[in-house]
Amino acid sequence: MTLATSLNGAEQRRPSRLGRMLEDRLPYLIVAPAIFILLLVGLFPLIYSLVVSFQRITMTDNDTSFVGLLNYAELFRDTRLWASLGHTAIITAVALPLELLIGFLMAQLFIDRLPGRQLFVALLVLPTVISPIVAGATWRLMFDVRFGPIGQILSFFAGEPVRILWTVNPAYVYPAIIICEVWQWSPFMFLLLLAALSNVDQSQLEAAEIDGASYLRVLRAIILPSIAPVIAVACLIRGLDLVRIFDIIWALTEGGPGSMTETISLYTYVQGFSQFEISYTAAISFLVIALLTIITTLVLKRMELAR
Amino acid sequence: MADVKLSGVHKYYGNVHAVRGLDLTIGDGEFAVLVGPSGCGKSTLLRTIAGLEDPDDGTITIGGAVVNDLRPRERNIAMVFQNYALYPYLTVNDNIAFGLRARKTPEIEIRKRVGEAAEMLGIGSLLQRYPRQLSGGQRQRVAIGRAIVRKADLFLFDEPLSNLDAQLRDEMRTEIKRLHHEITTTMIYVTHDQVEAMTLADRIVLLRDGKIEQQGAPLELFEQPRTGFVAGFLGSPSINLIPATLKINGGGAAVVFESGGTMTLPSAKTTSLTSAEGRQVLVGIRPQHFSRAGGGSLRDGVVAYSAVADLIQPTGTRTFTTIKIGGVDVVAELQAHDVSRHGERIDLAIDLNRVVLIDPASGLVIA
Amino acid sequence: MKVGKLPARKVRILGLRYLGATVVTLLFLFPVYWLFMISFKTPDEIYHVPPLWVPAQIQFSNYYVLFKDGDVVAILNSLIVAGVSSGIAIVLGTLCAYSLARFGTGGENLAMWIISQRMIPPIAVVFPIFLLYVHFGMVDGFFGLILLYTAFNLPYVIWMMRGYIVDVPLELEESALVDGLNRWEVIWKVVFPMVRSGLMATSVFTFVFAWNDFLFALVLTRTEVITFPVQLTHYFGGQSNFWGKIAAMSVLGTLPIFVAVSVMQRYLVRGISLGAVKG
Ligand SMILES: Nc1ncnc2c1ncn2[C@@H]1O[C@H](COP(=O)(O)OP(=O)(O)OP(=O)(O)O)[C@@H](O)[C@H]1O
Ligand SMILES: [Mg+2]
Repeated sequence: MTLATSLNGAEQRRPSRLGRMLEDRLPYLIVAPAIFILLLVGLFPLIYSLVVSFQRITMTDNDTSFVGLLNYAELFRDTRLWASLGHTAIITAVALPLELLIGFLMAQLFIDRLPGRQLFVALLVLPTVISPIVAGATWRLMFDVRFGPIGQILSFFAGEPVRILWTVNPAYVYPAIIICEVWQWSPFMFLLLLAALSNVDQSQLEAAEIDGASYLRVLRAIILPSIAPVIAVACLIRGLDLVRIFDIIWALTEGGPGSMTETISLYTYVQGFSQFEISYTAAISFLVIALLTIITTLVLKRMELAR
Repeated sequence: MADVKLSGVHKYYGNVHAVRGLDLTIGDGEFAVLVGPSGCGKSTLLRTIAGLEDPDDGTITIGGAVVNDLRPRERNIAMVFQNYALYPYLTVNDNIAFGLRARKTPEIEIRKRVGEAAEMLGIGSLLQRYPRQLSGGQRQRVAIGRAIVRKADLFLFDEPLSNLDAQLRDEMRTEIKRLHHEITTTMIYVTHDQVEAMTLADRIVLLRDGKIEQQGAPLELFEQPRTGFVAGFLGSPSINLIPATLKINGGGAAVVFESGGTMTLPSAKTTSLTSAEGRQVLVGIRPQHFSRAGGGSLRDGVVAYSAVADLIQPTGTRTFTTIKIGGVDVVAELQAHDVSRHGERIDLAIDLNRVVLIDPASGLVIA
Repeated sequence: MKVGKLPARKVRILGLRYLGATVVTLLFLFPVYWLFMISFKTPDEIYHVPPLWVPAQIQFSNYYVLFKDGDVVAILNSLIVAGVSSGIAIVLGTLCAYSLARFGTGGENLAMWIISQRMIPPIAVVFPIFLLYVHFGMVDGFFGLILLYTAFNLPYVIWMMRGYIVDVPLELEESALVDGLNRWEVIWKVVFPMVRSGLMATSVFTFVFAWNDFLFALVLTRTEVITFPVQLTHYFGGQSNFWGKIAAMSVLGTLPIFVAVSVMQRYLVRGISLGAVKG
């Protein structure tokens, strides 16, 4: 026992005063660096931007006097801005439901046990994880009127040469963008829905089967309610991404023809980096942030209500 | 080895006053069991002793030294948690050695102590396994092993057996008792299971709403409860409480049940009740104090009672029977074959020498 | 599951589902296949009418050109920028997440503010950041880009790791505290091993986000630290004579991602759903 007691004495570790202080402040010490960076890169530019949006700085005129809401008033007269918002809304409104539907149908294929499912899933996620710029570039090559396979395939089915200038012809630019977008992100929906569907309570499904309920009834009464939260989250994430869509369009059409496929992100970019309308760009940024905040809050509210 | 003293300890969680001015002394080498209903503050108290929670007021002394300002690791205590808290990414051997390594104990010493502990707990063959490869009971042993290699001054257990099935729990309970005999370190053990409390404890500390309701040796609490709560908490099945009115006649006293019927109390019980005529009481009779009347004359303080058996629950060794006294359902514990049918009329003897009378207003035991 | 023991009807359904799964997979993989094939084609094959579905032989001249002209530096830049920034974001973010998860530092408000940082559209901040970077001479430098991606990824790391850390039983940490570790050691010796796979998965995703980013890189790089998506857009000319380069560069820029994500497949769903779906 004496040995043990003396050993215990040696085992006692009393840290230094500094060590104690570091440990006491640990919760704050370890939060600080991350918060600092977020403030520096996230908040600081926003504040800067907010200030600038009340001034009148352009490429030629470095006027730092405050002009009140002038820039914001101008937003309402800017038809190109509203058109770009409209384009964004169209793409979102068409692509999001399509992705959801295709993702759901794909998930249906894999929901029951299917040997080798892992491999299929691994391959199917590929579009989702590649860079949107690569996705855009790929489809640019696919759509090419002479050297791309799409025209070739369509010609084969039509029985006559089909020549569509997908990224130039006004009638086809939106379909082109949406095809690319849906190709890239349906697998995202598929993955989330597959996970959600696998978590549906099996005993409920079996009970329904025993009761002889039709598939549509089971879908409405059991499956949809149980995967609704996941659908909501998936739509929120994808919706936010779609509203700020930039890369794919940059790679496919660069907003063209003219400004026909210019989304709000592209328009902001043009205002900032081509026109160098510093103050006006700042005002647009806040319009975008305000819109997104409203949408997000509304969606979150509805999700709360649904619960 | 150390004694533990708490004085005036308070602990708040926001608005919840979890520990309310608690004074407690646990002697060196004592096995103290903190017991009480869920939410009464047992875990909080134990965690405060461990240093995992800071008390809002009061002092905590371990081995004569005030430890309020010491970190858990500086208090030289060992703790066994409800869910074993084994590190899934370490082998059993490394789990047991974890605390020693943390304290930079020499490897040779570690190997020796782990070996000793493993042998003591019969887990020597499991040392290279991972926790997920062990059964619940084996995990519990590893968790205990991790505590004992530390040779700490004080062992703390927070409901260590509550995740085990009934049979394993009995087995581990015996094991822990044996362990305490072997290593004689001070132990504080939290449980809400009164059987564990009764069987393990040198001293039971019964908590209620963050305060000590009563403390003492197990049988002391069982036989001389200070309050109705203590009487009701210990013992299984729980004590029967029958509302009644006191009636004093001459030197003796009797209880009159609300729906009629009278029982005369033994003289030992009546001395403190001389001026209690007409007082409302709860008559507490433990199920164990019933027996089948064997004819012949009854001992002093034992009364005869004839009842109709209602529910009959045999356990093999004993049979629990529900009967009515004073219009209230009462459980009597009888010999296995004392009663066999629902509706059977049985003659019972009730030992009132150990009856408790409780004041329904204050909850205190008055006799 | 032994197919042989199933009734005929089930076998037929299974066969149909295989057929469907295969068709769908081929459909989705076709563009990727096309890209791959172009990267192996000679210019003659690329600009062949009608398009050729298989090159006559696999040859690597498109890749060779990228190496010879030094264009692969873009891949290297991307590796450095994405690697270093996710490393920093992971370390700082995980520590921050630990504090949020265990001590509730800053309450719900801080946590909500952090995730809201993730929702801010890049386009809304890229311009002021650009102006500030110009002012501080940070455009076209590693430091600026790494700082930006670190900040961009931090909310994600904090959010994800907070979820993983909350799942670590508190008892494990308390037991270690009693046994002799201090808080810093607890983080390193208990929390870290417990969340290791979550940490790996999160690192992969932060890497992918930084790797795939286009907008920030477009605005903040010129020549020195050009990343691979920006390099790729340099090949989009009026003429389509850079197809081989586009395809080869895309393949080079996709392979690392594909490998990383395949390894982390188990965590994919949790990773891309911001932790909302546990997969
Ligand atoms: N971390 C906490 N935050 C807020 N309240 C708490 C916390 N821990 C415990 N409490 C409250 O303190 C009181 C005492 O809790 P404690 O865990 O000590 O009870 P217990 O006696 O161990 O119960 P059980 O038998 O259920 O484990 C309870 O009312 C509980 O709700
Ligand atoms: Mg408890």
